[in-house]
Amino acid sequence: MVLSEECDIIFRLKAILEFACQLDNPNGAQSQSTISKTFQDLQSKVSSKNIVFTVCNSPLLIWPNTGFQSSVESLTEASACGDILQYIESDDGGSKKSSKKREKKKSGPTVVNMKLLFEVTEPAGNEAPSLIQVSTQQHCVKMPLPLDCVLSVNTDESLSTVCTGLVKAINKQLADMEEVVLQYRKGSSFLVPQPFHFQLPEPAGLTTVIYSAGVPDSQLQAVREDLHRKFKLPSDRPYLRRANAFHFPDAAYKDGYLRNPHIHLNPPNLEDAKLYLVQGVYSYHHYMQDRVDDDGWGCAYRSLQTICSWFQQQGYVETAVPTHTQIQQALVDVGDKEPRFVGSRQWIGSIEVQVVLNQLLGVTSKIMFVSQGSELATKGRELANHFQTEGTPVMIGGGVLAHTILGVAWSETSGEIRFLILDPHYTGGEDLQTITDKGWCGWKGPEFWDQNAYYNLCLPQRPKII
Amino acid sequence: MGRSYFVDEAVEQYLGGLQPAPGSCVTGLLAGQSSPQRDFVVLAVQTPYRESEGQPKASRGVSPLDDIDVEWVTEHAKQVSRMLPGGLCILGLFLVTPPELAKDAQNSLKKLIFAMEKYITKGRLWELSEEDVTDRVTLHICSKTKKTVCKTFDVKDPKSSAKPADWKYQTGVSSSWPMLTCSVEVDLLIPLTGSSSDNTDKCMKDGLGRWAKQIEAAYCLINGRQALDDSELISGQKKNLKTAHRQTLPARIFVSDEQSELDERSSALVRVCSGSIRVRGVVHCRAYIHNNKPKARHAAQAIKRDIINAVCSRVEMFLEDLLINEGSHKGLCSGQQALPRRVFAPMPISGLSVCDYMFPDESTADVAERLKEMLDCETPEEDIDTSLESKQLFSAVSGSETTDSHSDDSTKHATSEVQAENPKIQKASQYYAGVAVAAGIALLATATSLLYLNE
Repeated sequence: MVLSEECDIIFRLKAILEFACQLDNPNGAQSQSTISKTFQDLQSKVSSKNIVFTVCNSPLLIWPNTGFQSSVESLTEASACGDILQYIESDDGGSKKSSKKREKKKSGPTVVNMKLLFEVTEPAGNEAPSLIQVSTQQHCVKMPLPLDCVLSVNTDESLSTVCTGLVKAINKQLADMEEVVLQYRKGSSFLVPQPFHFQLPEPAGLTTVIYSAGVPDSQLQAVREDLHRKFKLPSDRPYLRRANAFHFPDAAYKDGYLRNPHIHLNPPNLEDAKLYLVQGVYSYHHYMQDRVDDDGWGCAYRSLQTICSWFQQQGYVETAVPTHTQIQQALVDVGDKEPRFVGSRQWIGSIEVQVVLNQLLGVTSKIMFVSQGSELATKGRELANHFQTEGTPVMIGGGVLAHTILGVAWSETSGEIRFLILDPHYTGGEDLQTITDKGWCGWKGPEFWDQNAYYNLCLPQRPKII
Repeated sequence: MGRSYFVDEAVEQYLGGLQPAPGSCVTGLLAGQSSPQRDFVVLAVQTPYRESEGQPKASRGVSPLDDIDVEWVTEHAKQVSRMLPGGLCILGLFLVTPPELAKDAQNSLKKLIFAMEKYITKGRLWELSEEDVTDRVTLHICSKTKKTVCKTFDVKDPKSSAKPADWKYQTGVSSSWPMLTCSVEVDLLIPLTGSSSDNTDKCMKDGLGRWAKQIEAAYCLINGRQALDDSELISGQKKNLKTAHRQTLPARIFVSDEQSELDERSSALVRVCSGSIRVRGVVHCRAYIHNNKPKARHAAQAIKRDIINAVCSRVEMFLEDLLINEGSHKGLCSGQQALPRRVFAPMPISGLSVCDYMFPDESTADVAERLKEMLDCETPEEDIDTSLESKQLFSAVSGSETTDSHSDDSTKHATSEVQAENPKIQKASQYYAGVAVAAGIALLATATSLLYLNE
């Protein structure tokens, strides 16, 4: 968790270009060259002098292909691209430089959103207006190409480098889209090519891959295998499923759940201790959410939901996080519970969590048993290993409570340990400040556990897939 | 509480000079610009004389008011509105009657104003926004006393009643109005589904409509500044009506291809088309904006509407012309045909300009004749500016078309032959003496197209 002092910027250029062509015979040999020609025309259009970049929420316009011109005099091609930030109005009216409440930890790179526009005035020629009619029967194909290019740079990179980079990126994306469109075309049936961005380990960095709309991840296994080889990615965990797509820091999560509240906490002050934390992204599920009043009985269900959200967001499953009813039904389906279990307010434990993870997600889990809560303090090595290799959230049930363990701070030398706990018993709203201040997500010592009760821990294992 | 109309003195002179025959009525149009606070009238034109068959109804005991040819008045209004550059539109009607008909005149005016508004807006490709003024003015003038009665009707509400309005004469109402200009490159491909001419009309309307929405949503710079918001168009300028200098402000328009109905798709939209029509070329556009603290976005709206009108009016005129001469769209043969060119001429006295569309086989004399008939003004031919749009057509033979027709070469070869004949076919109308010659050529060209272009 190294804090970087540098302010990285991600320039994100979006545009929807219309792909339109006429095909005499969609199954004929000529059609492929017509399609390629149409993409080439789009590439020329994007390299022409009429294109303009606008920076969203600012008065800034940049003409990248006319030897760099900008609508703001003080921004020239040599200006540092970080200078753009002062011209951007953030949603609350202030400029981005003077941010309101600083969060405890850095929230990641700044995103500068841009759009592509085409000038229709100041034409190069002065051709007379005319009407041209073609009377042959044709298949008329129209498709939106949702261009989405990213460029990750340091703030002191020059504007002209950024603009040249973006123009190159658009051209490359059009070429990639052409390849994907031709690959999945069947006669006159075309699938829209969609860009997805992935934050891959260096040196690849922020990378864009084009997938065809309507082709599910399950059918793209071979494509992913190729890309894993190309980018030298491990072959046993997913990096390039649609769910793994990079989440831009300025985008809100539409479902309203908090993501990774733990990153806003300061680590415990433990001498000689290392941190072993959950990897990736999970959503915080707790009492009273989704208009389900499970206060007093639903804690294990909520912990299970948190775990399911992890598997969904790391790309292992496409199924939505299950509801209490769906969880109960799954247990009935495998014969673990009687049918009247569905709709009841009965508790579940780690074993049931293991069963449901298997039944609904196809995920296997290890169960760890401790006969006394005081023993948990000695499980440092096992838990550290778990978070290092699997990195999944752990459900712990015992006494009368269930919790989620998101990590440990453990010293190999002294054996001292702290547990990072996500508490599903919280009944309030999605208020990060309250949740971190009041310890609903927080570091706890070994005294947190009921020293005399026995506990079962469910440690979910990552499936070895890509 | 009612609206205030600031009217140019030239209009006062024109209205005063009208000499209706005793006992009869004169109708006419009033044109200018509306703004939320006040309205400006810069032009008045009486309805042109129409040769009608039979005796005037008045001699058969019917009131001259009932004799008003509503269709003719509204048609005149439509023709004149095509001649007005952006920012200007038909604001209302005037009616001159003898004193005994003054009372009934109000009813006639109400009928006329609603009919006119309905006819002009039919088929228009841009919608009125919340802020557009929907009051139209009716002016009644007594032929004996010259007394004027000015009222307005809200044409959005068919049940609205007449509201009183102020009618004030001023000199040089529009002398300092800035003029926005731009040249716009157009290149639209409109697929045609079905083969009947009704279908062609609908497809053209849909295709042009989509383009019009792009223009309306486009980003606009006027004189180098953003024209989005409520900021003033020209900040820090002192209102100086005495200056003869009219500012010219260049406008720049930037479009994006985003079309919301396409956005959510996961596959392409494919239709089998019987053909396509491509509209391309560079059009010249103009708009005027009043100088009573105009807002930048109203100016942007005015020039955008002119851009839309500039393309749609001439396509409409071209298709109407074909209909008259050929009887159906079968006359729209394959290949390239020049659209009418936009030309500008000075408006009587106010210093603003009007425009007209000149067919390829027409001359400035024809334009001058039309200006006389429609706008009731003499325009010397040398004052008609034909230089703003060019005559140079895009070459269909060497140009690239995105089709994969196998018969490409032969089609294009035949096209260029047919092309040479086409200009004569298009306007084989009353402007030509040699109708027989034209008909003969038309026959030859149709035969050629049937031979080479049918598959």
